[in-house]
Amino acid sequence: MATKIRRLTLSAGWLVVALVAGLPLFGVIVGLWPSVPISEADVARFFAYNGLTYSITNTLFISLAAPLLALYVAFMVYSQYRFNPRWQTLEKRLAPLLSLPHLAVALGLVYLFSSGGMVFNALWGLFGQTAPDWLGLPRKSLLTMVLAISIKEVPFFLLILSALGRQLAIKDWLLQGKALGYTEGASWWLLVFPIMLKQSRLALLAAMAYSLSVLDISLLVGPNIPQLYAVVLYNWQTGFNAYEQANAFLGNLMLLIMLGLLIVSIYGHEWFTINRLRINAVMANPFKIARLSRLFTAWLGFFSLLTVAILITFLLWSFGWNTQSTISTANWSFSLWQDEWFFMQGPLLHSLNIAFFSSLLGVAVTLLALELQQQTNRKLPDYVWLMAILLPQLSMVYGWQVTHTGLSGSYSTGWIILSHLPFTFAYSYLVLRGPFQSLNQHYELVAASFGYTYWQRWWRVRFMLLRPALLSALAIAFSVSVAQYIPTLMIGAGRVTTITTEAVAIASGNEQSITAVYILVQAALPFIAFLIASILAQRIRGSFDAEHQ
Amino acid sequence: MMWLTSKSLRFLSNVKYSNPLAALVVLMAVAILALLPNVNAQPLPDTPTVQLESSPQWQQTLADAKGETVYFYAWGGSKPINDYLRWAAREIASRYNVRLRHVKVADISEAVSRLKAEDGSKSAIDLLWVNGENFSYLKEQRLLLGKLWSSIPNSALLATQKLPLKNDFGVPIEGFEVPWGVGQFNIIADEGLLGESEQNTVTSSIILAAAKQNPGRISYPRPPEFHGTTFLKQLLVDLSNKDKRLYSAATSQAQDDLLPLLWDYLDQLHPLSWQKGNAFPSSNTEQLSLFQQKQFVLAVSFNPNEMAKEKNEKRIPTTSQRLYFAQGAITNSHNLAIPKAAQNSAGAKVVINFLLSELAQKQKLNGSWGDPSVITPLLDEASTLPAQQELHSSWQQVIEDKWQQKYGA
Repeated sequence: MATKIRRLTLSAGWLVVALVAGLPLFGVIVGLWPSVPISEADVARFFAYNGLTYSITNTLFISLAAPLLALYVAFMVYSQYRFNPRWQTLEKRLAPLLSLPHLAVALGLVYLFSSGGMVFNALWGLFGQTAPDWLGLPRKSLLTMVLAISIKEVPFFLLILSALGRQLAIKDWLLQGKALGYTEGASWWLLVFPIMLKQSRLALLAAMAYSLSVLDISLLVGPNIPQLYAVVLYNWQTGFNAYEQANAFLGNLMLLIMLGLLIVSIYGHEWFTINRLRINAVMANPFKIARLSRLFTAWLGFFSLLTVAILITFLLWSFGWNTQSTISTANWSFSLWQDEWFFMQGPLLHSLNIAFFSSLLGVAVTLLALELQQQTNRKLPDYVWLMAILLPQLSMVYGWQVTHTGLSGSYSTGWIILSHLPFTFAYSYLVLRGPFQSLNQHYELVAASFGYTYWQRWWRVRFMLLRPALLSALAIAFSVSVAQYIPTLMIGAGRVTTITTEAVAIASGNEQSITAVYILVQAALPFIAFLIASILAQRIRGSFDAEHQ
Repeated sequence: MMWLTSKSLRFLSNVKYSNPLAALVVLMAVAILALLPNVNAQPLPDTPTVQLESSPQWQQTLADAKGETVYFYAWGGSKPINDYLRWAAREIASRYNVRLRHVKVADISEAVSRLKAEDGSKSAIDLLWVNGENFSYLKEQRLLLGKLWSSIPNSALLATQKLPLKNDFGVPIEGFEVPWGVGQFNIIADEGLLGESEQNTVTSSIILAAAKQNPGRISYPRPPEFHGTTFLKQLLVDLSNKDKRLYSAATSQAQDDLLPLLWDYLDQLHPLSWQKGNAFPSSNTEQLSLFQQKQFVLAVSFNPNEMAKEKNEKRIPTTSQRLYFAQGAITNSHNLAIPKAAQNSAGAKVVINFLLSELAQKQKLNGSWGDPSVITPLLDEASTLPAQQELHSSWQQVIEDKWQQKYGA
């Protein structure tokens, strides 16, 4: 009887997990199914599209370079801050750094630092001159795009590394490294980096998939001769004649191939780096990169300054500042805030409501998925769990939309929460997998020897030790849900407006002042979530602290 | 807490009527209007509008519409437009007991994609703001409700004699959508940039000369963004001296004869333009924003009153000029359509009827949006730019594809 119940619960669990993890695949199959038969001529025309090769290589370059750059910077920052009193400050400040949307960072970056941007103009203006045109970031280029994405991803990776770090005995390893005669800097790279690199594989993959398919940033700061791949694909997908539809189908397949290439390159990079490190260790070569790390002690100050500068820019915009005005001639007013605040309350409450439930459910299903794999000792490959992040979102949600209307589903919050669930699940999976699987079994063994049952051990030991990581996962899932535009609009049909559906629509008009108002309010929600998570995390002891105090 | 703040804000916004008497008068007027719904159907008996309005068919529509909520899919990127729709929603609610909900989208193709997904079954969309390619696709797929002109009284007011309102980017409208406003292609430029001509007209050679004077400060939205494509069309009309073949299907002979004029011109313009033609703004709004930030010396627009609006908001120098192409400004309507499977089509018709009324068209023209009127009573020929016919629809694709071939990579 007991085994029967156990088997039943297991299969029910697998069913839930399979449903959530499989929804993206289902959506893509329905949504991508070509409405027109694809002929060889279509394929030939697809490959004849002028600039396709450049477009693909540029996009692949950005998708590889930006996340890797961000990961390396984040690791160097982490190594400089972790066992230092400054760590507390960093953890506290991580919340505002994390909650600025990508678009805000890109907008602020070009407004402030592009050639002819505010910063250089102001500096040269002090001497009554105009800044030379060559100075500053080009408004649209690979470099600007890589910078915009990587700057924004560093705090994300820091959060991931910090969640990982709580489960690893880094201090012991550093001591062992010292005993073997390595400097602390070298030990970080030789002992900690390989493990962290492997465990942040999923986060890296998520950041790459994001860079691959992001539309708004590509339009704003990406090069457009040729256009980046996401933009080309979007144009095909929103064009409705037969050849554009054929291109859209083939383009989506190409996107999947590009994704495959990125996955391969993640493993390739890992293999290459770890080999390099090993050789370095054996040959006792001097560690140049360890010296570079020291530069990043200044990161927190620099990044906080940047965030503050962007925030101030947005605030000034929202109060009516623009390039035409000087401090005295600007028509400062709060009227935008007053006008819009009334219309923002509904969307804000909807966002909160949807994000709260979908993040909670997402984390719960993640725990279920991890627990089931642990129990049955069947570990599925990572990308199976991350399909919501990896597969092309527009086709995927289109597939859901077809199904949703086919089922005559209502346009209610419940359906929207369901449509966010695969995304919150995927992100919390990528945060939690590392901590969950690297949890030291020792404690549960001890608990077992005291006669605790399996579930008692799970709850009293495993869950409690996971709490800091769970908080990070919740906060990330929450902010992921808040940021969803396509599923909210396509499943909710505009009946349920969220702050993001409003903000994205508004931002499409490039009207500085009103965009600033909405982006600031939109950023406030994840900010609150990250802030609460970081405050709570400091009060809760994770497995690392359990071992070291 | 949130609600408390909202109340205080609403209170604050009421205080704007500094004179309590004025506020009272406004309130009374609104109340009277609400009590006498027929008050605005009084003028001039016997016009087609009045006949249609008193028809049993329209009375039935009005009755059906009561209590309906109309979901209006429209681009939500402009505050003046969003504010205008908020105003319209208040008016419509008080007059017809219909709730208008603006579903803001970043790109109207999101609505088209929904209609495609619904595939003719019950639609979540009651009304949409559409034109060009998207309209042509929806019409061809038979997803739109027809006979709108004959079933909506105020469409009799449309200025079909004076404005090109029967075609949408070369596709006959045939009652499947109703014009709401017109766009006229114009250029907003720094003072004196394009010469001091009295007529405020511009030609391709003037633009090239200005580019030589201001290297790196001129650009246009990257095609296939339709402002960019329209800019190219205007150039082509100018360079070919308004060749007649542009107004019929683009034969390969015509393409071979005419397009090289454009490419030769662009070959000269691009090295002088922004980032040496290695990047273009993604949209007209981005171009305008760069003009506001003094990176560009000109921006293009489809709204002839855009410049006045921008000046009002102090976002561009007060000395900026509005110019249009000497052969006339390409003029297009932007339109309202109802999906065939709409759930609240009666309400949607009432909304369209209101948006075509004198009151609503006047508010649209004189309010912060400044979009020109499409109805005869409000047609202000003085402020209308000399219009030019749209090119045959086949040229659109040809220009975009060839541009991509030549300059896209």
